[in-house]
Amino acid sequence: MSVLSHLPAGAQSTAERPRDSGGRRMSDESFINLLVASVAIVLFLAASAMVPNFFQFQNMVNLVTNNWAVISLGVGVTFLLVSGNFDLSVGGQVALSGVLAVWFAQSTAGANPLATGLGLPTWLAMACALAGAMAIGGLNALFVVRFRVPSIIVTLGTMMVARGIAKVITEGSQRNTNLPDDFGALGNLAMFGTSIKFPVVLMVVLVLVAVFIERKTVFGRLTYWIGANPVTSRLSGVDNARHLTCLYLFSSAIAGVVGILLASEFKSGFSARGTLMEFDALVIALLGGVAIAGGFGSVIGMFFGALILAVVTSAATGLVLSPDWQFILKAVAVFLAIMTQTWALARRNR
Amino acid sequence: MAAGFLRDYYIYFVLLGIVVILSVANIDRYDLFERGNFLYPKNIINVLRVSAPLLMLAGAFCLLMVSGYIDLSVGSAMSLGAVVYALLAINGVPIVACVAITVVVGVGLGAINGFLVVRLKITPVIATLITLSLYKGIALLLVEDGVSAIKSGGGLKMPAWFNDFGRDGVLLGLPMAFWLAVAVTVALIIAQNRSLLGKYAAATGGNPTAAKLSGINTGRVVFGLYVLVGVAAALAGMARSSFMSLGDPLSGDGMELSAILVVLLGGTAFSGGEGKVLRSFIGALIIMALTVGMLTLVPAYYQTLVIGAALLAAAASNHLISRKKSAF
Amino acid sequence: MGFQVSDQRFPYVLSIEGLTKDYPGVRAVDDVSFSIERSTVHCLVGENGAGKSTLVKMLTGALEPTSGRMQILGADYAPASPSEARERGIATLFQELHVVNELTVQENLTLGMERSRFGFLVKSDLDERVVATLAAIEPSIDPAADVSSLSVAQKQIVEIARAASSGANVIIMDEPTAALSEREVDRLFDVIRRLRETDVTVIYISHKLDEIFKLGDAVTVLRDGKHIATKKLADVDGRSELIEMMIGRAVFHDYAPRANVSDETVLTAEGLSNDLLKDVSFHIGKGEIVGFYGLVGAGKTEIARALFGADPVSGTITFKGRVVDHSPKSAIASGIALVPEERRTQGLFTSLTIARNIPIMNMGKLSDRGVVRSADERATAIDYVGRLRVATESVDKYVEKLSGGNQQKVVFAKCLFADADLLLLDEPTRGVDVGAKTEIYDIIRTLADEGNSVAIFSSELEEVLGLCDRIFLLFDGSLEDEVANGPDVDIPHILNVVTGGAQGAVP
Repeated sequence: MSVLSHLPAGAQSTAERPRDSGGRRMSDESFINLLVASVAIVLFLAASAMVPNFFQFQNMVNLVTNNWAVISLGVGVTFLLVSGNFDLSVGGQVALSGVLAVWFAQSTAGANPLATGLGLPTWLAMACALAGAMAIGGLNALFVVRFRVPSIIVTLGTMMVARGIAKVITEGSQRNTNLPDDFGALGNLAMFGTSIKFPVVLMVVLVLVAVFIERKTVFGRLTYWIGANPVTSRLSGVDNARHLTCLYLFSSAIAGVVGILLASEFKSGFSARGTLMEFDALVIALLGGVAIAGGFGSVIGMFFGALILAVVTSAATGLVLSPDWQFILKAVAVFLAIMTQTWALARRNR
Repeated sequence: MAAGFLRDYYIYFVLLGIVVILSVANIDRYDLFERGNFLYPKNIINVLRVSAPLLMLAGAFCLLMVSGYIDLSVGSAMSLGAVVYALLAINGVPIVACVAITVVVGVGLGAINGFLVVRLKITPVIATLITLSLYKGIALLLVEDGVSAIKSGGGLKMPAWFNDFGRDGVLLGLPMAFWLAVAVTVALIIAQNRSLLGKYAAATGGNPTAAKLSGINTGRVVFGLYVLVGVAAALAGMARSSFMSLGDPLSGDGMELSAILVVLLGGTAFSGGEGKVLRSFIGALIIMALTVGMLTLVPAYYQTLVIGAALLAAAASNHLISRKKSAF
Repeated sequence: MGFQVSDQRFPYVLSIEGLTKDYPGVRAVDDVSFSIERSTVHCLVGENGAGKSTLVKMLTGALEPTSGRMQILGADYAPASPSEARERGIATLFQELHVVNELTVQENLTLGMERSRFGFLVKSDLDERVVATLAAIEPSIDPAADVSSLSVAQKQIVEIARAASSGANVIIMDEPTAALSEREVDRLFDVIRRLRETDVTVIYISHKLDEIFKLGDAVTVLRDGKHIATKKLADVDGRSELIEMMIGRAVFHDYAPRANVSDETVLTAEGLSNDLLKDVSFHIGKGEIVGFYGLVGAGKTEIARALFGADPVSGTITFKGRVVDHSPKSAIASGIALVPEERRTQGLFTSLTIARNIPIMNMGKLSDRGVVRSADERATAIDYVGRLRVATESVDKYVEKLSGGNQQKVVFAKCLFADADLLLLDEPTRGVDVGAKTEIYDIIRTLADEGNSVAIFSSELEEVLGLCDRIFLLFDGSLEDEVANGPDVDIPHILNVVTGGAQGAVP
């Protein structure tokens, strides 16, 4: 089968370069992606059979559009998981950046403290809010990279710090008055003459760009290398610390934008916004086959993982189950996903 | 030498410092503390009373982290314990049976975690995130739709004894739940120093290979510790439920963070092996003094920020201290 | 406690008869027979690959012999597992320490043997016995002290005491002094001598011949898996006889002086020092193959990692006329690449494919502004797989699926693709089959002939003698001597130096 082993040792000519013909085995990642996508489709069909009015085009669109925020966060979380690190602070960052954007944009002459802001122009308010979220990302990087504290503990801490700041600024509730009119523009902008809003389009673009980065760029390769074996990557000349810092900043930038868009959509900065989003982002990544040990997983998988979760939860709602069921459904889904993926990979590679 | 002293005793100074600060800061913004004096007996009783759940958890959680494992589901397990306890009580089940059944539920919850981690070999963080969601979902489902918690009303009434456990003073004005937490802690301190479980937990966290080579069944040790944490969480839920007179399915939310925080404050290393039950108990007192005491100085909405910052500070200081001592 | 037989009828604690271990294609241990007297220190010596570690693994139940038999005090002994070996009274002191730092000395001594009632520890004679055992072999260690406060040497002694108090008749020690200072070595020797007085037999494996003469009662020499001799040390005629038995008459070596070694120097290292290295200075020429030869713990890996910027070191390293910054990244950028000692944990991404492993050190060559040219990336992998003859049907194969030799070739491919002018090879053929070994040697020679410099860090004399133009001899972190390779190279001198002869005590 192999032509390679017949080449003379030290043959420098590439003229006889062996053709790596046919039988190119699908990578384990593609295999898992296919598995996850199939599960999503099967679940969708099953739900269509059981739930009335489920099998409709609009419903399919809704499954994606309703989840734009979590899918966007999932992109940053997936990259970090692939590099072998957690980010549980994204939900807190969503709250923080939204609250900051509103506070910065509120006019200076308010009737009470919660109606009084810094009066910055909308674009500047949003830019500063983004910087605020990225400061949390920087804090994550500092503790994980410099102090070598396990990322799970660091990001649980920064989750509380971010949400805590948001609570302090909103005095535990929300700010929603005294905003300039253009503040609500971005989050409610309808695109291409349809009902699809700007954040959804942004999410789609983000996913596509992320897939490109993951598959086609040196940045993507570095992420997998660090996750697969940080010792080897360092001894191969990779600056692990720098790359992980980039990833945490990247993840917090996404969370910051999501928070700002949500604040714009609702024209409010709410300190409890994004609660449990960090958990959902982690759940969809795990459903999508991303391995927490690092070095394995993909954004596409995460996307289909999000669809699985969306189908399961919306079907449950359609079956008139109490919304309280969602927690149990998530638990069962993640458990089954982990067990199946472990089993499927072990079987395939036996 | 100085570093060792710092490592062993700094937590007592932190506690002392917080108490002193809160005692001299004479602000009684929410009328919580009479005459704004933190050291007034009634305030101390107040703080200790609300501390009972966390104090109950601290020791068992510390032993689990000493063995190198973690349980993120404690908050949900606590909520579920609270709901089960309240549900049984409100339906007329006698007190002894209520307590016994809740404890059995705690054993079950811990055993599920242990099974996922030890038998199915799912990473502890993920396994207990799964059960975090699961236990929370069950707790929510046990409470009727449209009602936020199990409480008196709709023809059902909490029995008179319901508050006995978590609120009414039995000794020195402190309730049963507090004394039980103290008893649990004392038992765990003894267990840590004098029992196979305590010793094997340290060996499992410190050098798993050595532990296995010495013929220790580390899987069984870890399983046992998860069960212990499950029971502690159920008891903590009971205490909270009894204190609040209701079975709130969200009452344990965020408890996993507080538990990690107190154990880190107690000087437990992330890598396992080290850490003392007593110091985690003191860590829990610090956190409760801080959260309750803070209410005299700043509004309640500062709490999340302060806890988060304390968690980061504890993590960073553990890092710095553990680096100093690695010079042998 | 196990099978502690105190029957005086058996003079030999352990006898081995016709022990053989076959691996596919290799006979690692070949019909070895010898006996070990009770209450002695019995040394086991031989070059790397002589079969010592395979023999020890059979003794400790980690490997099953292909044929042959063993006896403990006259009773048949065929351990199926390490725990059975322990029960029969054979304990092993591993190179990595198996103590729990977080427990006290006494807690470590009783770990796994505690007496308990209802799960609680109870006082028993066990505690007195372990404390007494410890006091007998090293009274200066406080049983109540935390193990984390002890030195490496003291921790080792705690492990020895643990083995002794668990009723071991035989304790196997594999290079126990590798990480110890001179004074600590002396103390360890005192401990071993006291052990001997308490009717414990020690099987002592070391490359340091001085230690063997100082400590041993008898010595067994292995070579190429065969038993060469078992002698009382008193009857051994000095280091030279031992060295002769270890290497035999002729060392196979096919070194041919290479023509195109230029006088140009590529790398100069001056005064390298750190935890282990002591003021190491040397230079490497362009197109030259140099060898760093020394025993376990002599400082080979440390020098390689220091040159590569992977570990902190003081002193200066000048490469191609410029002082090199201290990080792997800048080492690679300036043209130095490292094939690390542990290929699976340090050299490879075993969970990724071959195609994803090879290009890492030189991605700039395969990308434009950060975007990878996938076709080139793949073609490069295929090209290097072909050149190095990695036996695989596809570059999409996961590296964990390859054999050791092929994995090592992938590590080489990684480093070659870096276009390095100086290759540092740390144990380049460890765990590699014979065929791949020859191919790797060919690659190394070809590289040097093309004008690249190569530094080989090896504990295999044959490898160093077969390849290197110059050989640096290391002992205990310092560079003791330098010899030019050639047909008349003085092998006994080399072995004498690397076993500590230059710091000389025993003739």
